[in-house]
Amino acid sequence: MRRSAFGELQHRLLRSGISPVHIRRITDELSDHLEDLRFEALANGATVKDAHEEAKFRLGDQAEIADRILARTELKSWPYRHPHVARIYYPLAYVVLLTATPVFVGMANSTKLARWGVALMLSGAVTAGMLLCMQLAIVLT
Amino acid sequence: MLEHLSAGGQGFMGQTNPPFMSGVPELLLLRLLEQREMYGYELVKKIRLVTGEAISLGEGVIYPVLHSLERNGALRAKRKKVDGRTRVYYSLNAKGRKRLDRLQGEWQRIQSGISAALEAPGNA
Repeated sequence: MRRSAFGELQHRLLRSGISPVHIRRITDELSDHLEDLRFEALANGATVKDAHEEAKFRLGDQAEIADRILARTELKSWPYRHPHVARIYYPLAYVVLLTATPVFVGMANSTKLARWGVALMLSGAVTAGMLLCMQLAIVLT
Repeated sequence: MLEHLSAGGQGFMGQTNPPFMSGVPELLLLRLLEQREMYGYELVKKIRLVTGEAISLGEGVIYPVLHSLERNGALRAKRKKVDGRTRVYYSLNAKGRKRLDRLQGEWQRIQSGISAALEAPGNA
């Protein structure tokens, strides 16, 4: 009867942009609260079935709880609170990341890159030399 | 038992309650948490007790209010293990105390205004 009892609530909140941290905690707290209410009803002499029904009734309708949570915009993840900023920020962040990653990777491996660069230049020079020799041989014969 | 007192104030006096009622849940929670830290179920029980059951919460709606107050920096939440169960205890911090003072002031002003209006001769 733990979190599964609030699966529908969780999905609705997640779909509406409530921060997962708040969703997890609220559903945990609701589960604990439901259990406390059930124990209270049992202690007052209710049957197991009645105790469960009473606890659910006292906790309130999940749809109403969801509405109350959704009315609190501060509980939403920031892209849902500031969609316009998110629409600019995310593409910009990706462009910066895509540009900066090769630069930073290069800086972190500068020795390897220099070695590879020198090796490539040398191999290029050797190849060019060989091609020149072949060209000269053709021209002179 | 009165109608459910909601997080946003709706439900306390039906769907058309005036805006000045919207701070009531916060006011009650902050006032109780000023005394000591408590968890959700404990808070609801305490509200029933101190208000002589005049105000009864749809108990689940307390959590959006608590989370909102925490998000706005008025409350601090701490997980504690008690009797093998993990509870989230809420306590008031400096910002919460300021908010409580402000809400208390507003509430007292409204209350005295309404009392004056009810007690004025010819208003019966």
